[in-house]
Amino acid sequence: MSRFYPLLRVFGVLLMGFALAMLAPLLLSWVWQDGAATAYDEAFLLSFGAGFILWWAVRHEKHELKVRDGFLMVVMVWTLLPAFACLPLLFHLNISFTDAYFEAVSGLTTTGATVLANLDTLPPSLNLWRGMLVWLGGMGLIVLAVAILPLLGVGGRQMFKAETPGPMKDSQLTPRMTQTAKGLWVVYAAITLACAISYHLAGMDWFDAVMHAFTTMGLGGFSSHDASFGHWDSPTIEMVAIVFMLIAGMNFATHFLAVHGRSLKPYRRDPEVGGFLLVTVGSVFGIALYLWALDTYPDFATALRFSAFNVVSIATTTGYANTDYNLWPIFAPLWMLFLCSFATSAGSTGGGMKMIRAMILYKQVYRELISAMHPNVIWPVKVGGKPVASSILSGVMAFGFLYMVSIVTLTLLMTYSGLEIVSAFSAVVASINNTGPGLNQVGPATTFEVLTDFQTWICTFAMLLGRLEIFTLLVVLTPAFWRT
Amino acid sequence: MRRFYPLLRVFGALLIGFSLCLLIPLVLSWAVDDGAHGAFDVAFASALLCGLALFFGLYRENREMKVRDGFLLVVLVWTVLPLFACLPLYLHLDISFTDAYFEATSGLTATGSTVLSGLDKLPLSLNFWRTFMHWLGGMGVVVLAVAILPLLGVGGRQLFKTEVPGPMKEASLTPRIAETAKGLWRVYLILTAGCGVTLWLLGMEPWDALMHAFSTLGLGGFSTKDASLGHFASLQIEMAVIFFALLSGLNYATHFLALNGRSIKPYLRDPEAPYFLGVLGLSILALTLYLLALGVFDSFGSALRYVAFHSISLATSLGLATADYGQWPFFAQIWMLFLGSFIACSGSTGGGIKMIRAMILYKQVYRELICAMHPSVVRPVRIRGNVIPQHVLSGVMAFGFIYMVSIVSLTLLMTSTGLDIVTAFSAVVATLNNTGPGLNLVGPATTFAILSDFQTWICTFAMILGRLEFFTLLVVLTPAFWRK
Repeated sequence: MSRFYPLLRVFGVLLMGFALAMLAPLLLSWVWQDGAATAYDEAFLLSFGAGFILWWAVRHEKHELKVRDGFLMVVMVWTLLPAFACLPLLFHLNISFTDAYFEAVSGLTTTGATVLANLDTLPPSLNLWRGMLVWLGGMGLIVLAVAILPLLGVGGRQMFKAETPGPMKDSQLTPRMTQTAKGLWVVYAAITLACAISYHLAGMDWFDAVMHAFTTMGLGGFSSHDASFGHWDSPTIEMVAIVFMLIAGMNFATHFLAVHGRSLKPYRRDPEVGGFLLVTVGSVFGIALYLWALDTYPDFATALRFSAFNVVSIATTTGYANTDYNLWPIFAPLWMLFLCSFATSAGSTGGGMKMIRAMILYKQVYRELISAMHPNVIWPVKVGGKPVASSILSGVMAFGFLYMVSIVTLTLLMTYSGLEIVSAFSAVVASINNTGPGLNQVGPATTFEVLTDFQTWICTFAMLLGRLEIFTLLVVLTPAFWRT
Repeated sequence: MRRFYPLLRVFGALLIGFSLCLLIPLVLSWAVDDGAHGAFDVAFASALLCGLALFFGLYRENREMKVRDGFLLVVLVWTVLPLFACLPLYLHLDISFTDAYFEATSGLTATGSTVLSGLDKLPLSLNFWRTFMHWLGGMGVVVLAVAILPLLGVGGRQLFKTEVPGPMKEASLTPRIAETAKGLWRVYLILTAGCGVTLWLLGMEPWDALMHAFSTLGLGGFSTKDASLGHFASLQIEMAVIFFALLSGLNYATHFLALNGRSIKPYLRDPEAPYFLGVLGLSILALTLYLLALGVFDSFGSALRYVAFHSISLATSLGLATADYGQWPFFAQIWMLFLGSFIACSGSTGGGIKMIRAMILYKQVYRELICAMHPSVVRPVRIRGNVIPQHVLSGVMAFGFIYMVSIVSLTLLMTSTGLDIVTAFSAVVATLNNTGPGLNLVGPATTFAILSDFQTWICTFAMILGRLEFFTLLVVLTPAFWRK
């Protein structure tokens, strides 16, 4: 057990830092007098106290963390922080712990699935807290995706080791993380600011602009309105959202390099950008034509507007909606859910298995076809001109397989508990891809509140599983991890 | 084009042989005077003439075939033979060519999905032909799985090269196939005879006994009754069918070795057999308790009877039914479909990805988890103590991935034509696994006749894709195959 002390110490510090983030909604709640202030008082004290005690108890254990500790660290961050993050919701609203924890996990994993209705009448500070959870989750994610997972070598992630800003050869966790984090967070914060200002200029009030900038950049999808973006019914606001969702769906390491070098070249060199934009924009037009042909919308322009917003929103795993697309012919929403399983880039705040893995899987399968024809042919799989090592290939294959098996297994579990198949399947896919709304009973016009406690926990698990790229969580769950 | 002449010559010979098979229902039709002989005349004559033309037209092209030609030959067999096989149905019944071709493909791939209703009133010779197609298809499948695919190295199949009876080191196709086929077909024949006699002794009419024996051993699922096996309402008959379906779900190479050595040792050494039986047994027990708990059945005995029959029927990809399990809770139905996707053994007449691949996939994924924890650990994947080489592993991974991608893309295609999700998904899974009946609109109580022509063609494609283990068909569809 003592081997985990240094890790607990770091976690204690993190928890104290996280508690400080609660001061923001607390302060605003005081200023606006929205009646939720006491909820933050207690939540802040509990979180800060827990963090302090943890840190105090093991404060002398300051050996450096090992790479292997990274697995447990990451899992603790995404499972324990929500336990504290959900406290304000639990104290102030009349919901169960299951639902509150679900909501907090949904925020911190930037999923955006909600169990809350009547968002418009929620105290503004609570809505801000929900938005902040997504934004903080996004910050965590970028570092996770760009710095930590490549180091842990999860599902072929090691291929990005060499492309990351920050000290490379270092096998210790903390210096590498801080170094990388600084650069990326500056970019993240700057784009968020630009997004908030754009929203305001497009017609949102400042509160909504900031809150939605948070959830847009985290690709979370929480909104402060039940109607989501349908509330404004404004093509300008939707355009702004589309642009920033697409930006957040790209690799933040690429943004970082572009900002640093003041050049667009990094985007051209990024192997994923092309695929991401092609698939997303192609689907926007394809779905628009489909909806137009089936007379869901009377003219192409309207079809394009709704297709563009909802397809980009779901494909980037954001989860906003400006109409109830659950009423569209089933192929359209199904295609959107399909997109979100692979469209976003590896270093983005999006979910799913990521474009780079999809590309590798495609090329690997094609190679297998070729080598079935010519057993002796040498045909390396290349991405961006560079051959991919075979250990990475098999990592990616295993990831792809595990991803699909997770969907099948969790869907079976959901139907086992009595849910009909479309809701079960879409809830699992939307959760594991960290998208947000599913179809049918958990569609864009409804919430996850209809689920039973058991089903809610499955979705919570799916969100964590997807966000931690399956392997990170499963490794910690194997007995072998806890031995020696 | 010239390089395909030897192959076409062999195909011509095969077609002549196939036309002789058409003689049996033709004679039967004359003998019982059921009015269908005109259709069989035409089918027989055209198959024979085409076969003769090909064979004698290319008589001098008797060079040995290359292994690569095997891909095309296999694809020709399963796409062109149905063309002739469907003629009796097309000419005698009032159905479209699409439906007739679907029915013939369903027969020769041993799937068992049907577009026909009113089976009880069909001419005897037509019903005989339908089930006879299963039996012939099963013969082809056994040789395909045990002799041809390992040679082609499809999806990790090369694993079995060394375990196959017949000359091993031989690189040319024909002698090897002939040698292996003889041994396996003898076993197949013996089992069919055993099944037919058993069913007859248990009270079926001789013709029904024979036809259901064909259907059972091929793991096809065509019946001569609309009510399928439920028509006979006999526990003994169900148990006999279960017994022979299980036998047919095992590897025929193992049966062959056991019969040759007069010992049951080969079964104990078969790596798939214990998992095949174990997973099935556990599923049956669990589903029985589940249905009992939900009050679908009122006694354990009758629950066990129906669950055992349908689980085994669907898991082995047989597809006969004794009740409308479409009325059961959804989880039970989807679980049985799920079983059909992986449970049958590799040298059987069953469908899906096969148990051995499922085992390899599981072990490979577990290895990746361990590797993520200990990057430098060496941990080969073993089956029964034998290390699986890397290229087989990556072949199996690619296979598993392509399998799932096929399900997803074909389901999307089906929904884009307006079908509901459950029907679309289950039709794709049931045809891809060569199981037979799906759920909802294509459930056990209905037929595939309600599908539009386009949807029927997708299902036809899925049956062939699944039966030829994806790679065989996809290789032939790549442009690279046709170059040089």
